Amino acid sequence: MMEGLIVFVLIGFAPFLFVGIINRVKAIWAGRRGAPLLQSLYDFVKLMRKGQVVSGTTSFVFRIGPTVYLGGVLLAALLTPVPGAGAVMGFAGDFLLFAYVLGLGKFFLILSAMDTGSSFEGMGASREATFSTIVEPAFFILIGSLVLLTGHLSFEGIFQTLNAISGYTVLVSSLSVLCLFLMLLTEGARVPVDDPNTHLELTMIHEVMVLDTSGPDLAFIQYASALKMVVVATLMAHLLVPPDLPAWASTGLYLALLAATAGAVGAVESLIARLRMSHVPQFIFLMTALAWTVFASVLFFSQGDF
Amino acid sequence: MTLVLAGLGLVFSGGALAALAKGNAGRLISTITTLASFLLLLPPIYSVLTGGETRQMVLQWSEPAGMVRFVIDPLAAFFMFIIALGGWLSAFYSMDYMRAYREDAQGLSAYYFFLHLLIASMLVLVIVQNAFVFLVAWELMSLASFFLVSFENGKEEVRKAGLYYLVAMQAGAAFLIAAFAFMSFKAGSMDFARFSEVFHQDAGLSLWMFLLFFVGFGAKAGFFPLHTWLPLAHPAAPSPVSAILSGVMIKTGIYGLLRILLLMGPPEKGLAMMVFLVSLVSGLFGVMNAIAQRDIKKLLAYSSIENIGIIGMGIGLGMLGQAYGQPGLTVLGFSGALLHVFNHFTFKSVLFYGAGVVYARVHTRNIEDLGGLIRFMPWTATLFLIASLAISGLPALNGFVGEFALYYGMATGLLSASPGVILLSLVGIAGLAFIGVMAVLCFTNVFGVSFLGVNRRPFAHAPGEASGWMLLPMGLLSVLIVLIGLYPPITFPFLQQVVGSLAGEAAPALRTELGVLYAPVVRAIGLFALILLGLFLLRSWMLRNKRIAVFKTWDCGYQAPGSRFQYTASSFAAPFLSLTRAVLPVTRRLLRPQGLFPEDASFESRPRDLADVVLFSPLLGLLRKFFGLFTWIQSGKTQRYILYGLVFLLLVIIWIVGGG
Repeated sequence: MMEGLIVFVLIGFAPFLFVGIINRVKAIWAGRRGAPLLQSLYDFVKLMRKGQVVSGTTSFVFRIGPTVYLGGVLLAALLTPVPGAGAVMGFAGDFLLFAYVLGLGKFFLILSAMDTGSSFEGMGASREATFSTIVEPAFFILIGSLVLLTGHLSFEGIFQTLNAISGYTVLVSSLSVLCLFLMLLTEGARVPVDDPNTHLELTMIHEVMVLDTSGPDLAFIQYASALKMVVVATLMAHLLVPPDLPAWASTGLYLALLAATAGAVGAVESLIARLRMSHVPQFIFLMTALAWTVFASVLFFSQGDF
Repeated sequence: MTLVLAGLGLVFSGGALAALAKGNAGRLISTITTLASFLLLLPPIYSVLTGGETRQMVLQWSEPAGMVRFVIDPLAAFFMFIIALGGWLSAFYSMDYMRAYREDAQGLSAYYFFLHLLIASMLVLVIVQNAFVFLVAWELMSLASFFLVSFENGKEEVRKAGLYYLVAMQAGAAFLIAAFAFMSFKAGSMDFARFSEVFHQDAGLSLWMFLLFFVGFGAKAGFFPLHTWLPLAHPAAPSPVSAILSGVMIKTGIYGLLRILLLMGPPEKGLAMMVFLVSLVSGLFGVMNAIAQRDIKKLLAYSSIENIGIIGMGIGLGMLGQAYGQPGLTVLGFSGALLHVFNHFTFKSVLFYGAGVVYARVHTRNIEDLGGLIRFMPWTATLFLIASLAISGLPALNGFVGEFALYYGMATGLLSASPGVILLSLVGIAGLAFIGVMAVLCFTNVFGVSFLGVNRRPFAHAPGEASGWMLLPMGLLSVLIVLIGLYPPITFPFLQQVVGSLAGEAAPALRTELGVLYAPVVRAIGLFALILLGLFLLRSWMLRNKRIAVFKTWDCGYQAPGSRFQYTASSFAAPFLSLTRAVLPVTRRLLRPQGLFPEDASFESRPRDLADVVLFSPLLGLLRKFFGLFTWIQSGKTQRYILYGLVFLLLVIIWIVGGG
């Protein structure tokens, strides 16, 4: 019961805070005071209470797209275990459903962008679909390597066993964290893959897909994207929280790591510029390379005598 | 068995009757007889699949066939169901679709005759246990489908595609004939049961025989690099035929492989690895090429190659499990393969029927000319969307169900003790994920460009919705897609016997195993449905009595956007294709604008098939060159031909006199 409560509170607030921290870090870095930490929550409430402007060319796909997208991310969040609290739902093979339900959301997000018949939104949709083709296999290689290392087929089993094995998992863990951080930047549409603050449609990916979305639908999409970042950050935190801590300590450490991840995203965003669109695939391929490195080191260690 | 014979007879005689009938009667006869035979076949199929006794019938025939056994075992029953259902649905769909060709009475007669012949021959070949009759049925199937593919033989491209198809099928059949002939020579009988003994006696022989069978059946199924006929034959055929070719006929190649596996027993490790890797390459290659296509039916044909690859990965996984003695892998591999055989039949048929509706209403297969069709044909669009989601393997639809078994199987393969299996499993997981996400790209592209947005070219007349005759088969299959996706366990009673026979495991144990595996998935999908319901309620509650203004799409302040401004399928796929240039050869023809007042400039790009460019074109070129050496024989002068005859006679006489 307690676990469920923690997860629901997290799902409710963490995404807004996560975005708030990113923006605060960027503001401080740039010498500004920055918006309140919960600014995106206020935006969410405001958007939820608005009416809508919809394009006359759209069909029902455009109307259900954002909702399905959010639904997919929500289910993925419920499948993600929280350190110290566990997952609302976890089973052998849950990581498959996790990745595929996010894929379902993406499918609808792409279609609702194409439904407007806008060339900008088509451009964003095309980029989103293309970059996913690199991210997804890398994610599966990474999780597959962790399955191989721990002998468990569920998120919970993997994370509980991973840090308890021996010293060498530190290497695997840190490589995996880096790999997942790249996934967070890509899936969360952050610099250097995408710039959420850009004003030029031609250089956007995620923002351009929602040009025609307004009101509650836009609120759903913004919240879902933030939640997606929190979900990936949760997976990252799992790799860093040591085992055998009392539940309250691991949850506390987890929250601190979540904030630190948000800070790291903000720092990256302050330090480097968005990559040229044609260089983005190379950046994401780094994730694939890292995933294969994880696999190689797991294979090396598990076959050797360590 | 009586029911089966009656069903078979009905299909065959129905075809003959429909061919002879005048006017509309033919179409009606065809629909009724295929439905009746489907219903007649259902009870035996149901009973065999759910654990009833296998039905058998033995005929004594003259040489070379000898004893001919017709056996309905679970494997045969599984494929019979797909054939009979697919046959009926295509006949039903043809009711309206083929009306466009009603002037061509002769062509239509032939169409119905060969459609029924195709269904009947497929039914025979899955139940017969005799090499001779099997090959006869196999050839009948190839011939019948050749005539169906060349239905519109007035068109040059159709004739070409038909001939290519025929040659490819005969080349594949040559391998099968060789393999079967050798096997029956060794076994001293044409009966499959005797083959099994030969396989078990001689391991070296079974290796080579399996390779021959794999090439022969693989050419039919469409494994890389033997797939080149699919993207030619499917667009040429009328849509109900494409649906039956892709949904049903190519699966007979899968049936053949499984049948040989059943006879052969646990395979060599190397064979299992080969099947797995060839399938993985087929899957990747198929979907990559599908992304590059503009012709909707060509795209679907490449996607069939992809799905055959996924099915083959399941078979390969099952074989790996057998070879390495890991029953869990075997069960999951074969379950995944068979689930995907059925699932692919459902969604690929819907997609081809949908493409047929588009072709019948808009008269083009080029998706670049389409757009906004969802407003003209909302039902077709919705069903096409459901099938697109399913074929991308997304959850809550049946495509995910089969792929889940495969992923799970490969994940357990990671826990194996053998490094080979570990490596293959990880490569397989990454590969299947890559295939899945490329399918998302491919099908968001085809659905988004053809059905969403606005039409890119003016339609000659507003395209109407599909008729009930066309919607019913699509709707029926979509119900199956959703049902299996929401509640996978409904398939287990029909799966347990056939997977059990392949994996050599008791059916009840297998069913419990699958039940345990899928129970949490069912719960999670239920939860997902609840979440979606909640969100939709929240959304409509928030939007109640709010102003919803309808305006045009944001155009960046530009005031005169045209429908040609939309993103095209080519540009949607371009970023991805630029990453995969190495394996996707594209011919580009660019005419640059010249001078101060350029008059014409054009750009054309045409995706080409790597297997064709690297393998078949050079090979066929060499063959042509070789046979070119003998063209002087064909002089066209009658006197010379008479001379050839005389020389030949002379040689024969010398041979008889000298030798005898």
